[in-house]
Amino acid sequence: MANLSYNDIARAIYMGFKNKDNQEMSLFVDNTVKFLTRKKLLSKSKNILDKLEALMNKDKGLIKARVSTAEKMTDIFKKDLNLFLLKKYNAKEVEMIEIVDSQHIGGVKIEVDDEVIDMTIANKLKKLQTHLTR
Amino acid sequence: MNNNTNNTIVDNLKKEIENFSLKVKGEKTGRVTEVFDGIAKVSGLRDVKSSEMVTFSGGEVGVVLNLEEDTVGIIILGDFSKIKEGDTVSPTERILEVPVSEMQIGRVLNALGNPIDGKGEIKTDKTYPVEKVAPGVVTRESVNQPVSTGIKAIDALIPVGRGQRELIIGDRQTGKTAIAIDTILNQKGQDMICVYVSIGQKDSKLRKIQTRLEEGGAMDYTIIVSAGSSEPAALSYIAPYTGVAIAESFMDQGKDVLIIYDDLSKHAVAYREISLLLRRPPGREAYPGDVFYLHSRLLERACRRNKEYGGGSITALPIIETQAGDLSAYIPTNVISITDGQIFLETDLFYKGVRPAVNVGFSVSRVGGSAQIKAMKKVAGTLKLDLAQYRELEAFAQFGSDLDEGTKQQLERGKRAVEMLKQPQYAPVLTEHQIVSLYALVKGYMDNVEVAKIKMFESGLIEYTENNSKLFLKQVREKKMWEDDGEEELKGLITDFKTNFLATN
Repeated sequence: MANLSYNDIARAIYMGFKNKDNQEMSLFVDNTVKFLTRKKLLSKSKNILDKLEALMNKDKGLIKARVSTAEKMTDIFKKDLNLFLLKKYNAKEVEMIEIVDSQHIGGVKIEVDDEVIDMTIANKLKKLQTHLTR
Repeated sequence: MNNNTNNTIVDNLKKEIENFSLKVKGEKTGRVTEVFDGIAKVSGLRDVKSSEMVTFSGGEVGVVLNLEEDTVGIIILGDFSKIKEGDTVSPTERILEVPVSEMQIGRVLNALGNPIDGKGEIKTDKTYPVEKVAPGVVTRESVNQPVSTGIKAIDALIPVGRGQRELIIGDRQTGKTAIAIDTILNQKGQDMICVYVSIGQKDSKLRKIQTRLEEGGAMDYTIIVSAGSSEPAALSYIAPYTGVAIAESFMDQGKDVLIIYDDLSKHAVAYREISLLLRRPPGREAYPGDVFYLHSRLLERACRRNKEYGGGSITALPIIETQAGDLSAYIPTNVISITDGQIFLETDLFYKGVRPAVNVGFSVSRVGGSAQIKAMKKVAGTLKLDLAQYRELEAFAQFGSDLDEGTKQQLERGKRAVEMLKQPQYAPVLTEHQIVSLYALVKGYMDNVEVAKIKMFESGLIEYTENNSKLFLKQVREKKMWEDDGEEELKGLITDFKTNFLATN
């Protein structure tokens, strides 16, 4: 049998959970755990859960954005950023995780899933450094 | 420093900063999920390409080798002790490349093309991709110019041409590297740039080679690329490709390049290590399925390009180490079938005192014959026959003493041929001198010289000819072939010298 990827398993679990009543659900959970034990995948449950969460979020149209700035964001900026992210990722809802990191010097760094948009001064300086010392 | 200089620096800096433009865009980064033995498994990195360079948050560089559904397998080039789980990995959108420059000549570089000899940085903007498709059919030309190695046994019997790939194969301690080094030393003044790629060798051995090349004045046209045995397997895997990328940069300028891979068995072992760590399925001798392609795509980049496409050539001398003379192992058979011939070195011959320990019977050059100069071809043709007959007779001559005159003569000639082809290390012989001694041998002038005195006879003859020849040597040097009057002159010289030699010795 070909190797099952975490993504495959997460997708199967997600599809299985849909449209089930309580009794069916508990049977399904039992079977899932048995399957994972048999395949020795219980130790990898964190990775599978991450993928499952990503699938659910995608279905709901929710994106999680980690936004880090040098100083605390103003409300107006947050609102603008929210609108920008909704439009860029074609999402229905944005969950923003705010981080304040003085090492950025200025600007903003946005992380959505694997995508990073780094507009901080620190990053610009680093790029300038490589440009000048090349 | 005066004000004026200060201003210039500031102006230059301002100009550079004005030129600098930063486009911000979303980067598809990844996170390290696992790191072990020079390999990192990374999740994310959605748009990354195979063989793309990536950078870790600590500044380390890696190359993408495996693209899987959930993860990306990356080989880390250099120190991987500081990389930890959760580190960010960013793509560079550049396929692995190395810096190339004229300034690299005479230097010792690491597998990434950076100097490691402590002689300072090499500033260059030019880079070449490490992996490149070999030149196509229309750009190529047949091999028709010789690479003179200065080793009689090779130049006469297994000639190498510019653009050829000739394998040097043999057990440990049979003089494989010595042949390669002798060849480099003999390229002085022959308009050739040499690249010596050392893969998985001890640093002490490399240092010895470097010193030898420096003493012989060969570092003026040689580049050493080294991935030592203490460095990670990833660097050993990259090193030959780096070497050939540097060689290609010179070939693109229309120059002739000689590249030596010392040795490809260790390269295959390094690649096996990486492949197994990346969990690729093992095949024969646990090598991965694409180990043939690993070497064929490397050696195919050696070529001779025709004038319309800029000329230039890359001659490759890969080295393979066999175990107990086993030529039928996996890697030796692979590389034998890829190359245009092999120089087979044998332990038995080495200990018998036949050095270089070339087994003329098993060695072959499939394309070099057409690159040999006419004069050499003429004398070597008969020599090959003499040696072949000698080998055949040698075996059964041990049983009986009643041999007819013809057989005896062939045996004697063979003994002298073997004696004459012996040559000490670091003592290359000029082509025209090789022709003189080979001529004397194959025309039977050496038949009544004692076998033990052949070497003395040969060196004396060369000196005598060099001092007294007016036509023969000049004709061979200029026209690559002697004329009738030149041949007559040489015959006279040999006869004179021999009479003298036999009288005094």
